[in-house]
Amino acid sequence: MHPLTVRRLLWTCGGLALLLLASVVLALKLGAVPVSVTELVLDLGRIALGRANELPSEYRMIIFDLRLPRILLGILVGAALSVAGASFQALLRNPLADPYVLGVSSGAALGSILALIIAPGLAVMTPVGAFVGAIATIAGVYFLGRREGQLDSTTLLLGGIISASFFSAIIMFLMTTLAGRDLRGMVFWLMGDLSTPISAGMQWVFTIGLIAATVAIYSTSADLNLLLTGEREATHLGVDVTRVKLVVYVSASILTALAVSSSGAIGYVGLLIPHIVRLIFGSDYRLLIPASALCGAIAIVLADTLARTIVPPTELPVGAMTAMAGAPVFIYLLRRGLR
Amino acid sequence: VFLARLFYLLPEILRMRSQDKTRAAEGTRIGQRNRAHANIVAAILALLALPCGGAWARQTNPQQSHASRAAASSTHEVTDEIGRRVQVPQQATRIVSLAPNLTEIVFALGEGNHLAGDTDFCDYPAEALQKTHVGGTVNPNMEEIASLMPDLILATSINRRETVNALDRLGLPVYVTDPHSVEEMIMSVEHIGNAVGVEKTSKALSENLHARLADLDRRVSGSAQRRVLFAVWTEPLISVGRDTFIADALRRAGGRSVVDTATEWPHVSMEEIVKLQPEFVIFASAHTGDAQHDLETLRSRPGWRDLTAIQQGNIVVISDAVNRPAPRMVDAIEQLARALHPEAFASGASRSLSTITADHPEIESDMEEVCLCTH
Repeated sequence: MHPLTVRRLLWTCGGLALLLLASVVLALKLGAVPVSVTELVLDLGRIALGRANELPSEYRMIIFDLRLPRILLGILVGAALSVAGASFQALLRNPLADPYVLGVSSGAALGSILALIIAPGLAVMTPVGAFVGAIATIAGVYFLGRREGQLDSTTLLLGGIISASFFSAIIMFLMTTLAGRDLRGMVFWLMGDLSTPISAGMQWVFTIGLIAATVAIYSTSADLNLLLTGEREATHLGVDVTRVKLVVYVSASILTALAVSSSGAIGYVGLLIPHIVRLIFGSDYRLLIPASALCGAIAIVLADTLARTIVPPTELPVGAMTAMAGAPVFIYLLRRGLR
Repeated sequence: VFLARLFYLLPEILRMRSQDKTRAAEGTRIGQRNRAHANIVAAILALLALPCGGAWARQTNPQQSHASRAAASSTHEVTDEIGRRVQVPQQATRIVSLAPNLTEIVFALGEGNHLAGDTDFCDYPAEALQKTHVGGTVNPNMEEIASLMPDLILATSINRRETVNALDRLGLPVYVTDPHSVEEMIMSVEHIGNAVGVEKTSKALSENLHARLADLDRRVSGSAQRRVLFAVWTEPLISVGRDTFIADALRRAGGRSVVDTATEWPHVSMEEIVKLQPEFVIFASAHTGDAQHDLETLRSRPGWRDLTAIQQGNIVVISDAVNRPAPRMVDAIEQLARALHPEAFASGASRSLSTITADHPEIESDMEEVCLCTH
């Protein structure tokens, strides 16, 4: 790989941003009501000029009140999960780490369900509960994975898988015993679903939270590069390992919590996207973090578009799409890596 | 909460930046680059986030589109069955139903021609199949609903609350029903009649249903209740809880579910059923295709073959209308009552007796006793 320059970073991120824009236009175009791209561009222009009232109201409702918010949520969720995945992979020095595999998503899901049960009226409690669940899970899995002061990758992953199934069992238990109207829709949500829009307040919390946490992780990316060589080596090179780990754990947990509390547990994105980005652009975290965010956004936007349009008018949960596409790609990457 | 997080993170970021600076001063090129990169990425992220925020800010005034439409045609406010206040038109002409029972009610009220869309599961009456489908009951396609430009959407307890909230946010009027008994189903018919704008028809329909149920009650109230098992599903066995409309339908047909739980759709242990030995096993005909209530199949299955009701062939398969809180449910109740209490429907004499007693309820009990004695 060529050494990373600011120019290369800008070109890569700019190119990916254009690709993201193209997938957003595609996602806006496809759906129950078909629209042509020219029409769409003209209408976006009208909206930009503040002449939105000229558009027919059902059309405005479908494209701009239904499709656009869903696409934007997809961008946020995809970016959050991919950055969280890339961060966990660096921290645990394990290429198989991701919020879903480590059980962090399940922990966040359990946390938000508990928050829903304890304080059903407070919408803001859901991401807080998810955050508590996420950070508790990653702490638990981290301690499970430690053996004689060293992180054992197999124990770590097993710990994650066991935590995930344990939390899923508790969630099933809660949903059966407290079978009320509020928890029933959760089956869908647990699979990872973008069809339920989040409230306006949550949209802002998510947007700002995503930026803050990503910037926080990004500012440690040089340290993460060194950390990949080993904790002791990084310490010798002047990295404050404890602080970096704390910042990244907290930020990655915030990202997971935001994604899970607004769209459920969407799997494989956090695992696969950083891998694909590494294959294409190299493993320098200073490029990996922003490129993963953009690629994750593209992946979720495209996966959700497919989920919306594959069996009309019925919609599939986007989690089913990412798992269907993600698992085979993951196996391919695994086999390739082994050779 | 978010602010707290931000406050926590900002000093972290600043501290790291300053550390990068010191490192850069020491001549570490990594730090220098890192700082430049961090700034660039922050700028890119902010640029990306701004349009997101802008787009969302725009859709925070959801009632706008509806308000303009509401002004165009006259509407009135009603309170739905879960206590939400809904602006409904005087005369709904573009109705979207989000559940099969609601579709049936709309057709029973003679408003089928005003039904603009229904779900993939709406199969009765046959005209319902011809309507535009908006997807399933749990995950209807919002775009499809919006494209139909409904002036009234009907939802019920099997729909997700999230769906109702999302439609609310689009400014579309959603009337939500929540029937837990046969009586509440009839009330839903009246409420929907009011919301759709056909009060007279719904009143007449509800009176007719009440009269039929009263007649049924006269017939079966004299006989002992049959202890029954209603099987919603056989593998695994799922039955009904006491607060469901099906349990109520069983009671009205002169039966009593051996399963008595607060859970609405309990997953019941077969051992428990073998211990309780119901007199009749009841199925709804919806799953005829997979023959899961085929007598021969059940006789060979462990657990099921130990039930006296199965051994003696006391299996009742009734119309799947029993699963749907709609007027047709009364047909299913009558059908079940005939199967559980053939004696109450046995002779023409019984029929005429009950017709006579209809106007004189005070002599009804004596008559019933006479019927039972002669039986």
